[in-house]
Amino acid sequence: MNKRTLFFAIAVAVQLVILLGVPARKVYTRATGRDIVLQVAPVDPYDVLKGYYVTLGYDISRPGAFPNAPTLAVNEVIYAIVEQAEDGIWKPIATAQELPQNLPANQAAIRGRWHQGRILYGIEEFSIPESKRDVIADDLNKNRNEARVDVKVDANGEAALLRLRIQDRVYE
Amino acid sequence: MTQHKSSSFRATLKQELPDWVRESIVTEEAAQQLTARYELDKLSKESSGLLAAVIFTLGGLLLGGGLLSFVAANWEEIPTVAKVILLLITLLAFHGVGYWLWHYKGWSRLGHALVFTGSLVFGANIGLMAQIFHVSGEWYGAFGAWALGSLVMAYAARSWITGVLALVNVVIWFLGISHAHQRTGMMVIPLLAAAIFLPLAWQLRSRVLYAATFVGFTIMLCSIAEQQHNSFKYILISLVICGFTTWAAGEFHRFKNIRPEFGNLLAGLGILTLGTISYVWSFHEWWQEGNWLNRAEAKPPTFYWLVPAGIAAIAGLTLIVMIMQEINALPTRRLLAIGITVASGILVICAMLGIAHRGDQMLLTLVVNLAALIIAAVAIAIGVMDERRAAFWAGTVFVVLLIISRFLEYETSLLLKSAAFTLCGLAMIMAGITYEKYLTRKEAHV
Repeated sequence: MNKRTLFFAIAVAVQLVILLGVPARKVYTRATGRDIVLQVAPVDPYDVLKGYYVTLGYDISRPGAFPNAPTLAVNEVIYAIVEQAEDGIWKPIATAQELPQNLPANQAAIRGRWHQGRILYGIEEFSIPESKRDVIADDLNKNRNEARVDVKVDANGEAALLRLRIQDRVYE
Repeated sequence: MTQHKSSSFRATLKQELPDWVRESIVTEEAAQQLTARYELDKLSKESSGLLAAVIFTLGGLLLGGGLLSFVAANWEEIPTVAKVILLLITLLAFHGVGYWLWHYKGWSRLGHALVFTGSLVFGANIGLMAQIFHVSGEWYGAFGAWALGSLVMAYAARSWITGVLALVNVVIWFLGISHAHQRTGMMVIPLLAAAIFLPLAWQLRSRVLYAATFVGFTIMLCSIAEQQHNSFKYILISLVICGFTTWAAGEFHRFKNIRPEFGNLLAGLGILTLGTISYVWSFHEWWQEGNWLNRAEAKPPTFYWLVPAGIAAIAGLTLIVMIMQEINALPTRRLLAIGITVASGILVICAMLGIAHRGDQMLLTLVVNLAALIIAAVAIAIGVMDERRAAFWAGTVFVVLLIISRFLEYETSLLLKSAAFTLCGLAMIMAGITYEKYLTRKEAHV
């Protein structure tokens, strides 16, 4: 292989690594994380960059949902501690600024970032298949309080969005 | 030598040469020398090659779009793993086939077009990959990743158009990240971008990429100046520095005869930048106190944008000093260089006086108009000296535009407006006739 071809091959490899690096964190969380269910509320149904998707808000997105939520600087890391309720949904109980250790089995910590008075967890965008776009948007509007998401949370608190459920309908 | 002469000149020469030989204006031997000197034999191949490059690039884009649309139409039915494999194969296919055609089959233009399309597919794949795994994040992150991949490819494949793609992505990414994170480290990015893209354009002898890098630097510098102060005067200083440095770089290439093909484009771009900003800021509205665009935000000002701005200004001045000897040998050229330098200085001083709330509003407006007139005069002079119609007409239209704008801006009677517009029209026609006669005389003399 001559030098020119080698450089070209390296450039293609770099593009492949970047491409695979985009979902790497989410793939790891999906593979190693535990399942939790969160209640959602749709906010914004359209984005021009990635096509159609819903921007999801959660109870844990509001600092007011926690009794001890501090006010942090932009992008500062915060961990939301959630606990599984009797209905299977995980509810906010506290926040921590370090990853909590030795949580009981019915509790989990999700890593978030402070952003303009809200906490973002990297699970706010759910891509909508084009053919189901209107169906999902309609479903979400009509059953705003019935929407849940299945999420994986790994040992570091990173979360990955798996699917959206509205009553007995599942969207992946 | 062919790089210095336009294709139209070479085409005309090729057309005329047989007649000149037949009429014994030049000898057969001289005609052969001219043919060799200007590579006239390659002309038709170059023209058809350029056309082919455009067609192949468009074809590649349509092919990529068609494939992506086909996949998107069946996207939901495809399992996740298969989707990922499909994205990777598509990327590899464009690059692999493109490179094979380019370097092993001699289809360089088609191959280049496919490799470029591969980098477009790479960008689309970043979005699709994020979509498949519901990856959330800041919008500009995708452009950063796209920029990095395209940049590496531009260097490896020696592709100027992929370089332009990478540069556009860098600028978009920078606008996003610098707005979200106003950190001191941001000042390094415009300088880093210039240090990365200018050598690439130099190596590839790409005028488009070279000029685009100057434009990209200007946009990035203005962006951080605006974010830190929310006042037009800082943007004005940034634009003047970038316009001046771009012009100086163009003059450096012309006078030193180093990559002279970059010279006219950069010098023209620099004067165009200075002319445009001096026109925009020639309106008195900008200089009135209390205008929202004059207010800096209440937050503590940070001046780290001055570092790249200062380096750009020093670079521009250094380039001028380096060609001082050549400029001094030509008095008219020296006058033009002084004109541009003085006009740039006036604009910067006016902006600084405005920032310091010093200076009369009317006086500042008047002086900026004077700077604009100097720039217009320089353009007209270049048009006359270099016999470049575009420069002459741009300067003339600029003068007329300034006069008409002032009459429309201020309360003047209809009669006065009528007289001014009539005089402008007549002066423009007279200038045009005089200029065309001058060119004809020069041509006859030659």
